[in-house]
Amino acid sequence: MSQINRRDFIKAIAAASSASVLTIPSAHAGQTKGRVVVVGGGYGGATAAKYLRMMDGGIDVTLIEANSTYTSCPLSNEVISGERDIKTLEVGYSGLKKHGVKVVHDWVTGVDTAKKVVSTKGGQTYAYDALILSPGVEFNYAAVEGYTEELANTSLPHAWKAGAQTLMLKKQLEAMPDGGKFIIAVPPGPFRCPPGPYERAAQVALYCKTHGKAKSKILILDSNDSFSKKALFEQAWKALYDGMIEWVPGASDGKVIKVDAKTKTCFTNFGDHKGDVVNIIPPHHAGKIARDMGLATFKTHWCEVKPESMEAKAQKDIYVIGDSCIGGDLAGNFGFPKSAHMAMTQAKVAAGAIIAKINNLPLPVPFYVNTCYSVVAPDWGFSVVHVYRVENNTWVYVKEASGISPVTMPDKSPVPRLYRKVEAEYADGWLRNVLADAYS
Amino acid sequence: MRRKYTLALLACLGLSTLPALADDSTEALARTCNNCHGVNGVSAGGAMPSLGGQSETYLKHIMMEWKTGERAAASMNRLIKGYSDEQIASLAKYFAAKPWVPIAQKASADVMARGKDVTDKCETCHGATGGQPDDETTPRLNGQSALFLHLELDKYRDEAFLMTHKKMIKSARKMDEKDVGIAAKFYGNQSK
Repeated sequence: MSQINRRDFIKAIAAASSASVLTIPSAHAGQTKGRVVVVGGGYGGATAAKYLRMMDGGIDVTLIEANSTYTSCPLSNEVISGERDIKTLEVGYSGLKKHGVKVVHDWVTGVDTAKKVVSTKGGQTYAYDALILSPGVEFNYAAVEGYTEELANTSLPHAWKAGAQTLMLKKQLEAMPDGGKFIIAVPPGPFRCPPGPYERAAQVALYCKTHGKAKSKILILDSNDSFSKKALFEQAWKALYDGMIEWVPGASDGKVIKVDAKTKTCFTNFGDHKGDVVNIIPPHHAGKIARDMGLATFKTHWCEVKPESMEAKAQKDIYVIGDSCIGGDLAGNFGFPKSAHMAMTQAKVAAGAIIAKINNLPLPVPFYVNTCYSVVAPDWGFSVVHVYRVENNTWVYVKEASGISPVTMPDKSPVPRLYRKVEAEYADGWLRNVLADAYS
Repeated sequence: MRRKYTLALLACLGLSTLPALADDSTEALARTCNNCHGVNGVSAGGAMPSLGGQSETYLKHIMMEWKTGERAAASMNRLIKGYSDEQIASLAKYFAAKPWVPIAQKASADVMARGKDVTDKCETCHGATGGQPDDETTPRLNGQSALFLHLELDKYRDEAFLMTHKKMIKSARKMDEKDVGIAAKFYGNQSK
């Protein structure tokens, strides 16, 4: 392998992504054509803010985000195994400022939809013509008896939002003895990053196998009866980590309903499982602000939006993007996956729709694409892609363009290893490029 | 391009800009490519290639080959089936109209000296630095992601990976294993 492969990048201390992205020049117009407020500075919010300014320099864009650094959740499972330096996942907001986005580090406490004003914890107010909400998810700790936000921050990290908890989980794995048990509890879907728990199992197994702990076991206690890229994961688990990973589906009493933090025991309806490391991923729903505003019209959990624009069904001039929204072909069981790539696609559709509206132009034809890579070993990755068109104001899942990497070749022969190696490299290339596309 | 320059000019003059092609469906479509290939098709690195400034013929050809299944790919062969032939043609035209921006990546003097030798045969079609393709079907290599180039050569060398360009297959398979990375780095280092 050449010197410039992914491992050099992911172990690198300096994460400053110096993408040389050419941009359309933005004018600082004397008069503002419109004001857009974006809430949340993850992949979705950052992309929306940047593209709004790139598309029309006459628009005033304010991004409100609590933290000054964002940590990418995609590929953070590699941090737990020690394969990746967390610094490669961190990014600040200086790139957005260069596009003329006004970045405010504050927490949104309320929105007056009649007056079209956002108010913050810091006591500020921001008027908007269009509001984009990209608040991510809120965890429902109470859904697992005995689990709390405090426990997540101190002893039982969910690490389903990358950062301090990711590093805590990594430390717990490092302290686990050979022959130990690492439990991952998976919530009922839909949840953020559908293949994430199963990629995490592989990364934990990778760590154990390469650090003299090959007798250890990873137990996945699942609330669901199937999972994303299942055939690809099971194939890789067997080939790389045979006997180390066990998956218990919901139908086989896999759903964790209670946890005892002191004894690190997970309780299902009929059984209990004691672990050395217990990683509870609690159920989640749309971000607090979106639910508080009554936008979570889908089973009170997720926000329904319009396919042509990402505008909330429940409220005019408010657009909900990223993990908080629900969309896609729900009837056909091909809903939008809650992924960074999907959030960015949605952000671009929302930005295009807002710019068109402000300028009295026809709506651009929306097109939704998702790509999601999972890495199970440094030279073994695979992906799922989703393509959606919009026809008659409805999402149409384009089946022939979507789906997972091949499990076997068409003639049933094994997939050449080069496919897996290439996709492991693409995962890292994807990360560098999405970080640049959203933040640079 | 003219429209872009007009925008740039307006920006310089501090005048209110036109919305940047918000009504243009190709522009909206191209935004779906930006996630992995960068704004204007300039990749931020890793295994993702830059597209901006490659020839229209080359871009269209490779996308259509993936779509029809003539040529293998790990991910693009799936994604591209979501785009109509007309959309593929307009994306090829769109990215071909962007400037080619070589990103010169570091390589040692040894690698560059050896690289000059091992790419001797490549020069006929790609030019001395990989930046002077001899026809419209040949891609630019200068300042392209070296990791991407390495993986492409791996694909050409792997009998199990379905590739289409006979001459490239033959040339790539003649290379010494140890020279593959050197050739990739040699071109990745070129700024012109």
